[in-house]
Amino acid sequence: MNNNEKLINAFTTALGIEAENVTDDLTYNAIPQWDSTAHMVLIAEIENVFDVMLDTDDIIDLSSVAQAKIILQKYDVNT
Amino acid sequence: MNKQTFTAYQVTLTPIAREHQHVLRHWRNDPEIQQQMFSANYITEEQQLAWFDRINDCNTQWHWIVSYKGEFIGSTNIKAIQKGQSVVESQTLEAGLYIGDARYKGNVLAFAPTLAMYDFCFENLATKEFKALVKTTNSAAINYNQKLGYKIKAQSPDTDVCEMILTEQDYRLNTTVLKQLLSRAKKQ
Repeated sequence: MNNNEKLINAFTTALGIEAENVTDDLTYNAIPQWDSTAHMVLIAEIENVFDVMLDTDDIIDLSSVAQAKIILQKYDVNT
Repeated sequence: MNKQTFTAYQVTLTPIAREHQHVLRHWRNDPEIQQQMFSANYITEEQQLAWFDRINDCNTQWHWIVSYKGEFIGSTNIKAIQKGQSVVESQTLEAGLYIGDARYKGNVLAFAPTLAMYDFCFENLATKEFKALVKTTNSAAINYNQKLGYKIKAQSPDTDVCEMILTEQDYRLNTTVLKQLLSRAKKQ
């Protein structure tokens, strides 16, 4: 499984949505499933899958799938 | 008079001053914010300054401007519910928040000013609970409050307002993970 697939899986697991809905323009709070509680689960899932620990600024900035990819690059994870 | 400045969860809350009134009025007149307020009138510069003069020395309500990374992003406030008591003495406070900076509306950062303010109140004032009156149409605010641990106490069929209550215990129980996420150290 490549990193992009892992990221999609992280979103589907944390938010309980279908993989086809995990597009770059999916944003926090744009769907009921991605609320603050799910955001916390999502952060934990991403950290677990990619073995990274995001700092608070990145947790705040991680407000879309596209942004998640940019942030992960800072942790040497290319999707 | 509010003289309490504090920083927590990445944001700083500073007591509002005259120089903040321009940005506060700008946000307050934003139609998106205006429609969620109980008073939705357009606010003139004179009205804004008159309001500031009225509440500046007031001990029954305190207002802060919120900054993140050195930029103003919104405003918070507390009001004493118990008649004749100051915010310092009142065991029940009503809290308010709006995020003016569009980048952080609906962002997880929007919880930071509230967490900072509620921690301050529970730890430094006589506060035992918060009460909120929210328009029933404002589902975002109701959801936001519920994430903090608020429970709906009453909802009148005759009005479009619901009353929500937050005890200190419910607050602590519901915000542990959120606080951990918003108070992580920065990467070195």
